[in-house]
Amino acid sequence: MSLLFYIFSGVMLVFGLLVVVNRNPVSSALSLVVSFMGLAALFITLNAYFIGVIQILVYTGAVMVLFLFIIMLLDIKSEQCRKLNYVAMGGGVMIVLAFVAQLTMILAGYAPGKQRLVELPGDAAVHQDVKRVGEALFTHFNFHLQLLGVLLLIATIGVVVLSRRQGEGN
Amino acid sequence: MLPYYLEICVVVLGSLMLCMELFAGRRSRAKIAMVGVAGLGVIFALLMFAVCSPGEDLQYWGIYHFDKWAAFYKGLALISTLLVLVMAREFAPVFKHYTSQDEEKSGIGEFYCLPIFVCSGLMWMASAKDLVTIFVSLELVTMGFYVLVAFMRRNVGSLEAGVKYLILGALSTGFLVYGIAWTFGVSGTFNLEELSVVLAGDDIPSAPVMFAFALLIAGIGFKIAVVPFQIWVPDVYQGAAMPVTAYLSVASKAAGFIVFLRVVDPFLAAPSIREPAIYLMVFVTCATLIYGNLAAIAQKNIKRLLAYSSIAHAGFLLMALPALGAAGTIAGPGPESAISFYLAGYLLMTLLCFLVLTVVRVATNGEDLTALEGLGKRSPFLAFAMLVGVASLAGIPLTVGFFGKFFLFNIAIQNAMQNGLWIVVFLAVLGAATGFYYYFKIIRAMYWEGSVSEGEVTGLKVGRLAMLAIILLVVAVFFFGIFPAPLLGLTL
Repeated sequence: MSLLFYIFSGVMLVFGLLVVVNRNPVSSALSLVVSFMGLAALFITLNAYFIGVIQILVYTGAVMVLFLFIIMLLDIKSEQCRKLNYVAMGGGVMIVLAFVAQLTMILAGYAPGKQRLVELPGDAAVHQDVKRVGEALFTHFNFHLQLLGVLLLIATIGVVVLSRRQGEGN
Repeated sequence: MLPYYLEICVVVLGSLMLCMELFAGRRSRAKIAMVGVAGLGVIFALLMFAVCSPGEDLQYWGIYHFDKWAAFYKGLALISTLLVLVMAREFAPVFKHYTSQDEEKSGIGEFYCLPIFVCSGLMWMASAKDLVTIFVSLELVTMGFYVLVAFMRRNVGSLEAGVKYLILGALSTGFLVYGIAWTFGVSGTFNLEELSVVLAGDDIPSAPVMFAFALLIAGIGFKIAVVPFQIWVPDVYQGAAMPVTAYLSVASKAAGFIVFLRVVDPFLAAPSIREPAIYLMVFVTCATLIYGNLAAIAQKNIKRLLAYSSIAHAGFLLMALPALGAAGTIAGPGPESAISFYLAGYLLMTLLCFLVLTVVRVATNGEDLTALEGLGKRSPFLAFAMLVGVASLAGIPLTVGFFGKFFLFNIAIQNAMQNGLWIVVFLAVLGAATGFYYYFKIIRAMYWEGSVSEGEVTGLKVGRLAMLAIILLVVAVFFFGIFPAPLLGLTL
């Protein structure tokens, strides 16, 4: 398990760095996708299956598609040609270093942080989270789920109508 | 009949109209709006059969509640949707101008369907007594309005209004969800009745509860347009199509207020935070009264003027809130009754004004005060209807607006005698006086300004259904202005 932890953390950090370093915004966005996937894998190794899956569905799926759409609307060329501003970069590095130093100092002095977390009680907590969320959603909150169906219908009508080809004439 | 069938009927009606739009021939497609109007009328009649005995609270699955408030606000939602459909039919020429001349491409069929689905959301809001249902149904309504506001897609103003409403609406949703999360974190429940039990306890920390309360007020305050969450109102009201503006200002506000009342109630009843919560409410009330009334004075565009007046009316409605949780100490109708009566009256007079304005807008292609000039000569009937609506908005005796303001002032004054917050009453009197000025600007434009040559007199055509609606609304404004008891009886 700890080997997996290092692999996925490494993937996250490397691609997180690539997000900043890449000159092409599309490559940056795609690096962010991989970084998010590493995060999702970390959640799954912690037995948090639901959060892991949602991380992939919502962040790597929906949010990143939104990002890519916005990038498509921007002018990529001008982004690529922009000169590096060394003063701003130096300032950024300073802030990061200061933050890391502060964090390590505080965490080093925090006694409960050295204790191990309490183990979850055996098998009951494992593999159950998706099932529980699903059960709650389809039994207790079933009414709300039906309302969301109507909401999606409205959204569908809206998308169809607003994106329809514009008619001729004035 | 089981009350929750009502919303199902509404959704089925909407789906039916969508299918009609898709499959029916060209001629029967023109009748979609009529099908909607008739269907809503039938559902309103069904609502009468679903009415429960007073004081009863029917519960289904612990989620859906049906009490007298739910029934009352469901009725308001149905009637306003019905009248908005009538208005939308009148508005169709302008609408086609900004979408497409071709009936099929203009999407006008969908324009008639969407308010129906929004109506189902409004009705669910009226039945919601827990934060999850409130959130989901509120989002359902808001999503419908995002589409409706931006519907005239060849009109820059409409698109701008759509984007502004989308962004600020999403922001307010964020506030609301955050507030719900804090409420759940403090109390461990979504249910408002359980919440009031939990908040009544002594060991509740007041700071997080206040934080949750403020966030909830911010979230719902956006929907009912109270200061400082009113920034979107003027632009969106001005940019949206006339029927959508009317729908926003009446139905969205009424449903928002019932939710507001239900959410605020447990917080105001909690002894630990009652006092700061009331001061917060008073601050919001005063700001809304000042801003709405003073900003309306300078407006030249009628829709903008009515937007600020809508903010001002929210201020008047908020006056009654500090009396919540102090029931029994107020003589006359309680705060909930007064607010409900006012909202019903507000529905009648606002929709009356917007119906007349829709006809004028279609005929003159203008939305400024100048478009109304000479209306008294061009169409004495429409001018009289507008006069009645505006007079009622100002609160002149013999109109329903007078009794609405009367009941609210009654509560505000008794409140002030108890807690000494006379500033609210003072500002409200000032606001009502200012109201007279800016509403009379409309009347002056209609009767004293502009000269009309004989040739223009035939410019205004009113559809038969719209004519009937205008007549009924004028009669209702007068009737409930002289005999408020039948309407008030529904809210007691």
